[in-house]
Amino acid sequence: MTSWWRRELTARARAAIAASSIAAMIGVWWLASGPLAWAPPLFLPPPQEVAATFLRMCVEPYIGSTLWVHVVASLRVVMTGWLLAGLVGLPLGIAMAWWRRLRWIVFPVFQLVRPVPPLAWIPLAIVWLGIGDTARVSVVFIAALVPWLMNSMQAVYSVDALLVAAARSLGAGERQILTRVVCRTALPTLVAGARIALGNAWTTLIAAELLAASAGLGYIALNAARTLETAVLLVAMAIIGLLGALFSVGMRRMTRVLAPWSVRATDD
Amino acid sequence: MTSGGATPGPMPRARRVQPAILYGVATLGILLIAWALATSAFALVAPRLLPSPAVVIERAATLITTPFSGATLAGHVVASLQRWLIGVTFAVVLGIPLGVLLAWLPPLRAAVTPAFELLRFIPPFAWVPIAVLWFGASTTTQALVVFIAAFPACVINAQLGVGQVDPILQRAAQVLGAGPLVTLARVVMPVAAPSAFTGVRIAVSNGWMALVGAELIVGKQGLGFLISQGQNNDSVSTIFVGIVAIGLLGALIDLALQKAQARILPWTPAAAGAR
Repeated sequence: MTSWWRRELTARARAAIAASSIAAMIGVWWLASGPLAWAPPLFLPPPQEVAATFLRMCVEPYIGSTLWVHVVASLRVVMTGWLLAGLVGLPLGIAMAWWRRLRWIVFPVFQLVRPVPPLAWIPLAIVWLGIGDTARVSVVFIAALVPWLMNSMQAVYSVDALLVAAARSLGAGERQILTRVVCRTALPTLVAGARIALGNAWTTLIAAELLAASAGLGYIALNAARTLETAVLLVAMAIIGLLGALFSVGMRRMTRVLAPWSVRATDD
Repeated sequence: MTSGGATPGPMPRARRVQPAILYGVATLGILLIAWALATSAFALVAPRLLPSPAVVIERAATLITTPFSGATLAGHVVASLQRWLIGVTFAVVLGIPLGVLLAWLPPLRAAVTPAFELLRFIPPFAWVPIAVLWFGASTTTQALVVFIAAFPACVINAQLGVGQVDPILQRAAQVLGAGPLVTLARVVMPVAAPSAFTGVRIAVSNGWMALVGAELIVGKQGLGFLISQGQNNDSVSTIFVGIVAIGLLGALIDLALQKAQARILPWTPAAAGAR
């Protein structure tokens, strides 16, 4: 018979184990930083201090503004870059998959640029555009463009050729096939591309803010590290992670709204 | 598409150049000529902002022969590769067994997954400031960031691979008298290996990307440091050389792994080769 450590758990048992493991983690953190004093507070402040710092940052300004203003500053840049990349990448990717001449022209350039990590453009963006929002938006744009474009191409390729042929034989024109058949069937892959693009955009923005910014979560993190305010640094990291997770969950929800037929019952 | 094929006919003619390659070469050629004309012939752009191709090549030659910011180009490459290798090795050696265990032992999965999912969404670069605080601007810091970037891909893909194994295969092995360890080694691992390897490929490129970021933020050597020095010295040609080196090495590493996958795991399905 299967031994207990190989058996699948019930949902209730899973939730109980998950809750106790998170509680244990926080407990170890509390013990290590407080009563046992394994780690000096400079390296690892106790959990209650991080929570207090978070509450304080919500109401009192830290380096210029409250936490929420910094969050909005980061979100504005990430959304601008991501949307611009979508406006360019989505139609371009679909067009490149549909018209091969366009693909032959654009794809080599794209292939040349693709292996370079988006972050490597940051110094160039700073030299060319200064340390303002423009530089950060353009780096986020490059980071988000690749998944937007690649997934759009992939999405069109994956459309069943039979569907296109059927539409054509039923008298649909090129334009109708593109809008009514290709874009419709390709929607789940397109949304997946948008999700990956948003994740890349977020990661890249944080790096860009660590290098040059005057507001934003990455800027808080860098400043806190310089002034050795570890609790502030941990708050910034937590908010960065939380927003990243929210983006991912939100985009998955979006798939369910836009293309409900593609979501299997077991997916969440 | 007009493909060759074994059509009965007169003499096989010399193969026509693929139009795709023709277009590609033409596009890149036009871009290169436009760059050269705009910078040197017509001087449309300030050389400070966009140096001419000749200047960039010259700069590359200088960087290869004479040290800049503490090392020659080769020195920076070696420094980067070393940190990257340490981080990636730890990620693979710890991540793949963890992924297999998570798929194999449901209680462990229930305990580890929540914490893993919470931490996974913090981008690797966000760890740089705290890693600096803990370990200083050292190789450990850079390798740690590479590790953080590479680890999740190893765990997730190994777990996914083990999850894909047909339960009937496992039961068949059991019926034939195989114990859990033998089943794991002889039945589960070969099926899961392609997915795990794909995880390694993603991990490797994530790690390379994170390293460049970490070196930009802190560091005294390495390719990321080289381009940040280019920025500080207002030398766009140095940044260009650094970007090309980073892109080239990243592409070469992925190509090598792709070849290795075809060699070591020839049963990899075609779809698993792609991201």
